[in-house]
Formats: sequence, C-alpha cells, structure tokens
Amino acid sequence: LSQDDPLTNLNTAFDVAEKYLDIPKMLDAEDIVGTARPDEKAIMTYVSSFYHAFSGAQKAETAANRICKVLAVNQENEQLMEDYEKLASDLLEWIRRTIPWLENRAPENTMQAMQQKLEDFRDYRRLHKPPKVQEKCQLEINFNTLQTKLRLSNRPAFMPSEGKMVSDINNAWGGLEQAEKGYEEWLLNEIRRLERLDHLAEKFRQKASIHESWTDGKEAMLQQKDYETATLSEIKALLKKHEAFESDLAAHQDRVEQIAAIAQELNELDYYDSPSVNARCQKICDQWDNLGALTQKRREALERTEKLLETIDQLYLEYAKRAAPFNNWMEGAMEDLQDTFIVHTIEEIQGLTTAHEQFKATLPDADKERQAILGIHNEVSKIVQTYHVNMAGTNPYTTITPHEINGKWEHVRQLVPRRDQALMEEHARQQQNERLRKQFGAQANVIGPWIQTKMEEIGRISIEMHGTLEDQLNHLRQYEKSIVNYKPKIDQLEGDHQLIQEALIFDNKHTNYTMEHIRVGWEQLLTTIARTINEVENQILTRDAKGISQEQMNEFRASFNHFDRDHSGTLGPEEFKACLISLGYDIGNDAQGEAEFARIMSIVDPNRLGVVTFQAFIDFMSRETADTDTADQVMASFKILAGDKNYITVDELRRELPPDQAEYCIARMAPYNGRDAVPGALDYMSFSTALYGESDL
Amino acid sequence: SNYSVSLVGPAPWGFRLQGGKDFNVPLSISRLNDGGKAAQAHVGIGDVVLTIDGISTDGMTHLEAQNK
Repeated sequence: LSQDDPLTNLNTAFDVAEKYLDIPKMLDAEDIVGTARPDEKAIMTYVSSFYHAFSGAQKAETAANRICKVLAVNQENEQLMEDYEKLASDLLEWIRRTIPWLENRAPENTMQAMQQKLEDFRDYRRLHKPPKVQEKCQLEINFNTLQTKLRLSNRPAFMPSEGKMVSDINNAWGGLEQAEKGYEEWLLNEIRRLERLDHLAEKFRQKASIHESWTDGKEAMLQQKDYETATLSEIKALLKKHEAFESDLAAHQDRVEQIAAIAQELNELDYYDSPSVNARCQKICDQWDNLGALTQKRREALERTEKLLETIDQLYLEYAKRAAPFNNWMEGAMEDLQDTFIVHTIEEIQGLTTAHEQFKATLPDADKERQAILGIHNEVSKIVQTYHVNMAGTNPYTTITPHEINGKWEHVRQLVPRRDQALMEEHARQQQNERLRKQFGAQANVIGPWIQTKMEEIGRISIEMHGTLEDQLNHLRQYEKSIVNYKPKIDQLEGDHQLIQEALIFDNKHTNYTMEHIRVGWEQLLTTIARTINEVENQILTRDAKGISQEQMNEFRASFNHFDRDHSGTLGPEEFKACLISLGYDIGNDAQGEAEFARIMSIVDPNRLGVVTFQAFIDFMSRETADTDTADQVMASFKILAGDKNYITVDELRRELPPDQAEYCIARMAPYNGRDAVPGALDYMSFSTALYGESDL
Repeated sequence: SNYSVSLVGPAPWGFRLQGGKDFNVPLSISRLNDGGKAAQAHVGIGDVVLTIDGISTDGMTHLEAQNK
C-alpha cells in the first residue's frame, strides 16, 4: 500500500474484500477520493459488512481456534520432537564423527603436520565445538521445554527414540570430552616429541657427517703397506705419525659414543626414520671397530718392522766396523805380498822370509774373522728373507761388499804361494851370488898381490945397478913373458867379474880388491913392464948413441936413486930441482930461477907428466954434459945444405932432401926476412927451433 | 889476470917462445932479452900466450904460433 495513492489503496481493499470476504463492492473509490465529504452511511454500511463478515466468523474462529490451538500444540510438540530427534541425530552423528578423529593417535612424521593437527584442534575447539555445545544446550533446552509443554498439556512425556535419549547424548558428549582431553595432551606430547626428534635427528646427521668425513680414507690409510719399503728412520717417523693418529682416534671415541646415544634416543622416541639412522649408526660403529682393529694391526706391523730394521741396522754397523779394518788389512797384505824387494845379502832375504812366515801364521785367524764378517751379512739376509723386509737400501755404513771381501781374500791367498816362490828364488839367487863373491874374492886375493909383487920386482930391477943393461933387459923380458902367461887368469877374473856384475852384486866382503883395482894394476903392470923395457932399450940406445959406458950409466943410476927420495922410480919436481942444484945449476927461488927450471922441466918432461923418468934424466944429463943443443944441430945441418947461407931455397930443399920431407919443410918454413934475403928464401932457423918447441923471436 | 900487448915491428921482439900443441905444453915466454921490445912492453917470463893477433892459440903447434 502506498500512502500517496489512496485510490489504488481503496481499489485494492475493495478487490480483496470481494474476493476473500465475499463483501460486494458498494463504494466507488473515486467517489471517496473525489469528494470532500464522502457519504457516511454508505461507508458505514460498507464497513458494517466487514463487521458482520468478521463476527460471524468469530465463533467459528473460536472453535477453530480451540481446535487450532490443540492441533497447534500437537503440531508444535511434534515439531519439537522432530527437531529434537533431528538435532540429537545430528549431534550424535557429529559426535560419532568427531570422536574417532579425537582418538586418532596416528603420529605424524613432521612437526609441521602435527602443528597442523594442533591448529585443527584449535579450530575445533574455537570454531567447531562451540556451536555444538550450543546445540547440545539447545537440545537440552528443547527437551526440557518439550517435556514441560507435554506435561502442561497433559500429554505423555517425550520418549526419544533408541540411542537418542538424553543419557545417550550425555554419554556420547562425555566420551567426546574425554577424547578431547586425551587428544590435546597427545598432540602436545607428540609435538614435543617431534621437536626433540627433529633436533636429535639433525644432531645425529651433523655428528655422523662430521665423523664420516673424519673417517673418510682412514681405513685405506691404515691399510697402507708403506712400512714394507721404509727405512729405519722412515719407520720411526711412521710410528710417530701413528701415535698421533691413535690419540686422535681416542679423542674421537666419545664422539662415536655420542652418536650411538643419539641414535638410541631416536629409537626410543620412535623416530619415523629410525631404520636408516640405525643403519648409518651401525655402519659407523662397525667402521669404528674396524678402525680400532686396523689401528692395532698397523701398530703391531710398524713396531715389528721397526724392530727388524733396528736389528738389521745394528748388524750393518757391526759389519761395517769389522769389515773396514779387515779390508785395510787385506789391502795392506796384498801390497806387502806384491812388494818388490831388493836384497843384496842372504841375511836380508832370510829376514824377508821370516817375516813372510810370520804373516802366513796370521792367516787362519784372519780367515776366521772373514767368516765372522760374512756371517753377519748372512744374518741380515736371513732376516730379510724370513720377514720380507725391504732390502732396497744397502749398508749405509760401508761400501765394502761381501763379494769384494771374498775377492780380495782369494787374491791374498793366491799371492801367498807366489811370494813363497819369489822368496825362494831370491834366496837361491843370493846363495849363488855369495858363491860368485867368494870365487871372485879368492881369485882377486891371489891376483892382486901377485901383480903388486911383480910391480915391486920390476921396480927393483929397473933401479938395480949390477949387471948390464942387456941383463936387465933379459930379466925384464922374462917378466914380460910371465906376465903375458898370467893374462888368462885376469881374463878368468874378468869372467867372474862379469858374472858378478850381471848378477847385480855391488859389494864383496871377501876381498878388498875390486876388478878395477886389478885392471888398473894389470894395466899399470903391462905399462910398467913395457915402459921399463922401453926405458932400458932407450938407455941402451942412448948409451950406444952417446957412448956412455956402463959405469957412467951406473953413476947416473946412483945419482938418480939418491935423489929419488920416495923410491918411486921417477923424480918429482922438488927431487929433480935438488938434483940440478947439486949439479951446479943456478936455480934460485927467483923468477929467473923459476923460469930456468921451467925450461928444463919442459925439456925433460915434454908430456907434462910432472915427473922425470930415468930415461929423461939420462937424456938431460948426457945432453948437458955433451953440451949439444939439438936444435942447433939441426940448424947446423940445414946451414950445410944451404951452403952456409942464413936461408935456404926451395930448390936446395928439393935437391937435398927426400921429396915428402922436402915438401914438409917447404910447407912449414916461414919466409926469410933477413937483410940478405932473396925471393923464395926460407927461414930454416926458426923452423929448427920450432921443432924443439922453442923459438927465439 | 890477462893482459894484451902490442909490439911494433920489425922483429926481433926479444923473447923466446916455448911450447905448442905438438909438445903438449902451453905456448909461453921462456926467456926475455934485456931491453928488448917484449921486455920494454913488460911481458913476463913464464907468461902464457893465449892469443896472437886476436886468434886463440888453442891447438896451435909451435910452428904455427911461430909463423903467426
């Protein structure tokens, strides 16, 4: 209905009355509206229709009302019962659904899931349950109301259907609330548990990882066979390293125990992934045990190897200490055994032989030492073989090998008999030498004196004064013969001497005479006898040439002997000087005297022997007494050939002299430069003096 | 001690020469004539003649030396 449109409103009312209340339309809406004062009676009539319509109905209505009321109460009650039933059903259904959910103790694996559950529960408590509480309350209220209404309306009490009774509902609700309580507790416990498990699991993982990375490679390291090829110092280093590792291992023991404890707790707390945790933990523990075992084994191996290497090292040292001096001894022995020797006497060779015998006596002990040294080496080899120790290294204390030792020993042994041989040969040689010496000595001791004697005898003969020169000569000639006959003995001695010299014999205690002595003596003897003979022959010549009588000769001899103070058979300068002085020569100690003496000496000793022989003495004496100057004689002879001239010509020389002597003179004569010289004149005077080693210039 | 002497000619020089290779005696002065050229030049008796005109007397015979 609209306030602004009364027309429509009236029309609507008239229509409705007509349709539903059977009140015919008596009015006209437009009339009403259009007039300022509608017809009151008409309107009252129309309205009283309405009164009658309604009042008639009132009784019916009251009856109907009563019926309706009763029916309505029934309906209402039925509705309420229905509602109750439905509500109860729903509630029970909800409870039935909810309780399993609350009783579900299936644990979740993750905290997140559990927390979700917790959130769900919170939702339940805050969102889902309160309405249900309200529902239950409502149910109760409804039930009570219903029961009250029924009672008030003298109806029988309401009996809910089976299972929906109040007690049922209460029971169910009780169960729900029970489940709730347990559930929340359970949720919190679970969450706590999960929290702890997460933490533990992470801890486990972390510790296990750290441990695994620590153990990574350790087994391989422990199983290395590096000690098999190590030297002693390397082994000691390995042991030190191993010691360090062992302490490291010990330090890790409690870590492993921690890991195991965590795993245990994880198990106790029912960790969802316990199997894999346990597997890992088991692996770790097994590996740990294995590491422990391997560590122990390695320690044992290292210690054992160390011991072996130490033993070997000791043996090496022992070997070296003994091998070196033994090697030196052998080298010394080798050198000594090959030592060349020079000996000159039997005593010397005997000395060497004795020394050699002493050396040979030391050989058995030396051999023992050698074997001992080799024994040490063998011990080392045995150890190496038995225990498979590395022998890459050689003896660090020496370079002398057993092979070397044996080689040298063999060499020494070979040299010994060789030396025996050499010494023996030398001994024989020395004996032979001694024989030669004796032989030579015996001979020389005969020959030497013999020569001496002969010399003396010849000397005596040459100065004797009885008998003629011819007698002397014969005597001397006999001596000469005997001397010649003695030559073979000299030759024989020479032969012996050669043998001695070839045998390299340098001394001879069996005689004071050397071959040279004998030779010199022999040559002297030969020379002496020849000279003496010659002297006598010359004396004979002189005597005959100068007509010296035997008595005069004897006088000369006496004088000569008188001044020959030392009986040497010749006159020394002083002896001769004394002789000249005694003969009246003016030989003072001045320059003139010395010059004169020198002049005379140059005549009598032209060969500058430093002595005046008897022959020269005779020459001089006879010349002086005969007062002839041989140079003058020659000069006088040339003068005759030159026809008394002071010079001579080539033709005259060629005419008077034999051809080669003429040429001799021509070649050597100087030209004559005197006042009376002619071309081709030759000076025979200076030539003559020159023949005698004197020239007046 | 050696010394050198120059005697101006002509001969005679006033000394006696002795010796030579053929006599196995060194060439020497065995006599001096008083007032002679050699004596005036202070040559001494017994002096050995080592060189003549600068030529060594080693190996000279008496005649060779005399002729030099």
